[in-house]
Amino acid sequence: MESASLPAGTEPRRRSRGLSQGRLAALMVSPSMVLIALVAAYPIVYAVWLSLNEYSVRVAGLSRWAGLKNYREALSDYAFWDAFKTTFIFTGASVFLELMIGLAMALAMHAAFRGQGVLRTVVLVPWAVLTVVTAIMWQSIFDPTLGLVNTLLGTDVVWLGSEPEALIVMIIADTWKTAPFMGLLILAGLQVIPDDIYEAAKVDGATAWQRFVRITLPLLKPAILVALIFRTLDALRIFDLPFVLTKGANGTNTLSLISYETFQTNRILGLGSALAVITFVVVMAVSFIYIRFVGGNIRGLAED
Amino acid sequence: MKGHKLLWVVCLAVAMAFAVAACGGDDEGGGSGATETTTTKGAKKIDPASMDSAKGEVVYCTGKDTSGAQAQSVKDFNKEFGSQGVTAKLLEFPEAADEQRNQFIQRQRAKSGDCDIFYADVIWTAEFASQKWLYDMTPYVQEREKEFIPATFESVKYEGKFFGVPKQTDAAFIYRRTDKVKEAPATWQELYKVAAANGGMAYQGAAYEGLTVDFLEIAFAAGGEVLSGDGKKSAFNSPENVKALEFMVNGIKDGAADKAVTTYMEEQSRRAFEAGRVNIMRNWPYAYALGNMSKIKGKFEVTPFPKFEGGGTAGILGGHNLVVSAYSKNAGGALKLIDFLTSEKIMAQDAAKFSLAPVLNATYEDAAVKKALPFSAELKEAVAQAKSRPVSPVYTQMSQAIFKNVNAALGGQMEPKAAIEKADGEIAKALETF
Repeated sequence: MESASLPAGTEPRRRSRGLSQGRLAALMVSPSMVLIALVAAYPIVYAVWLSLNEYSVRVAGLSRWAGLKNYREALSDYAFWDAFKTTFIFTGASVFLELMIGLAMALAMHAAFRGQGVLRTVVLVPWAVLTVVTAIMWQSIFDPTLGLVNTLLGTDVVWLGSEPEALIVMIIADTWKTAPFMGLLILAGLQVIPDDIYEAAKVDGATAWQRFVRITLPLLKPAILVALIFRTLDALRIFDLPFVLTKGANGTNTLSLISYETFQTNRILGLGSALAVITFVVVMAVSFIYIRFVGGNIRGLAED
Repeated sequence: MKGHKLLWVVCLAVAMAFAVAACGGDDEGGGSGATETTTTKGAKKIDPASMDSAKGEVVYCTGKDTSGAQAQSVKDFNKEFGSQGVTAKLLEFPEAADEQRNQFIQRQRAKSGDCDIFYADVIWTAEFASQKWLYDMTPYVQEREKEFIPATFESVKYEGKFFGVPKQTDAAFIYRRTDKVKEAPATWQELYKVAAANGGMAYQGAAYEGLTVDFLEIAFAAGGEVLSGDGKKSAFNSPENVKALEFMVNGIKDGAADKAVTTYMEEQSRRAFEAGRVNIMRNWPYAYALGNMSKIKGKFEVTPFPKFEGGGTAGILGGHNLVVSAYSKNAGGALKLIDFLTSEKIMAQDAAKFSLAPVLNATYEDAAVKKALPFSAELKEAVAQAKSRPVSPVYTQMSQAIFKNVNAALGGQMEPKAAIEKADGEIAKALETF
């Protein structure tokens, strides 16, 4: 093609070369684009498509166009708002606790002392345990008759059978499991802070507290933010803990759990997909807020 | 820079989600538009003669075979018919009932012939039939109808046809420690009183299917209903149901039932009973054989449900049916295996060895069964009188409405009356599902 158009002059030749370069680029990118489309975009678009239709649970193969009806139904259902509230309370409480404990863990792991390596390994053990195993473990710890907690406290609370106790157990289990992860991310941030800054501060007569508040925290901010985003998005999608602990009873129903129940257990594909899409949009919105408002500081810090 | 890029991706994804939501509809949104007559019209019918010439492998899907009963039957089948060219293979699903159902549904949605036969809980048959996932077994069932306890057919019957063959039935009993409580109480009220004075009782009060059954046993005895006579409307909000729930809630307050029952399923109840933490228990017959292997061996007795004061007595039918997948490539072989699994020989073996309640009349007269299950006469009577849970393709939703709200009331988060009203609304909503 190109060699055939050669005699026509330089102008079209240059243009055609530019075009073919673009095409070449497109061609080279296309396998990964196709892969992304297949793996990421297709399921999302398909879920959206399902959510705009109704599929009969009574008559095989019967379906009809529903428009936004499924969304209206989802948003007007008190079960949805209960789950919404629970999800956000869980996320807020567990991420806050994980941040505090994780920060303390990171500082402890960062301090130079004998057995530091062992400590780092031990601290990470909960993170390595499967969530389902974590849930079963805490279930037995909070067992009303044989559990450790009731035995130690001398109480007879039915932890997983009461509200808000069940949610508290869920938050404790999640914090126990993921605080080490938070700690690890923050530790990585700690390790890149150069020692000479601390030296200089010491020379200037700064106290330990001042050094922590004025040096450590500001310089840790990017690491903390990354850790926060990770954990918040994870917590908003929480499924396995309530699924094993309570199946959503006693005020532990989460957004993921109600989508699963509607879609999988009750086979209401349209409404279930609408719930899943809403969960997706909520998670997207939260990440948007993080990046838009808090993330601005990441850029600001990077420019400094 | 990086932040900007991320922001873009987020915006794009959200925009895309809404763009797709906004457009569309004109191309193929209309649906397939089947006319609603009977949902099972045109279901494949089984041919009883097809099992005589059956060849090849039959896959039998069940939940986890914890007792080993299924594996034993499959082994016996292969020994007897393997030489004739037809063999059976056991495919085990997870132990949890919900998961078994999910596994089967996923296969049927994909029109997979993985499972020729499925050991389905009695509450699923209507749903599977309405989705045209099952063979219509009417021609076979009619030939053998007289051999079965009539009540066991209620759960396989849908729109006048039989969509499965009953395999194992179930009716729960009151287990009582004879060294602690001498006499079997005559009424539920008395039973609660005795329990409160003797270390409490255990039942299945966690938010799951088992609680629906436990609640309905008392509610039906008190005269309550779930659906109206024609099955089209909710009849759940009744004074009888409120009374039944109040009775159960007060039972927990008064110490008749262990507070922890709101988290108990069958196994937790059984362990509490075997450990001596409670002296009365409501449970299925399976706990009998296991109890006799524990340290309370010979110290407990099994009796039918008592009456509800001012009402009657009622049991709820449990158990499993054998259904044949509409996508099976070996329906003849499947029927041959079903014929074998529901034969008197296998039924007697299941009952005597694994204390599974048989569905055949004759099995209850078997000497070995009578010896292994001293309460077999009561069991047969309980099964014959037991009521089915509502037979409906939306049963799972109705059951959720019941167990979630009853559990909340038992846990003290809701007043009994409010819980019944809320469940009533949710059942009505379930009935309107498209």
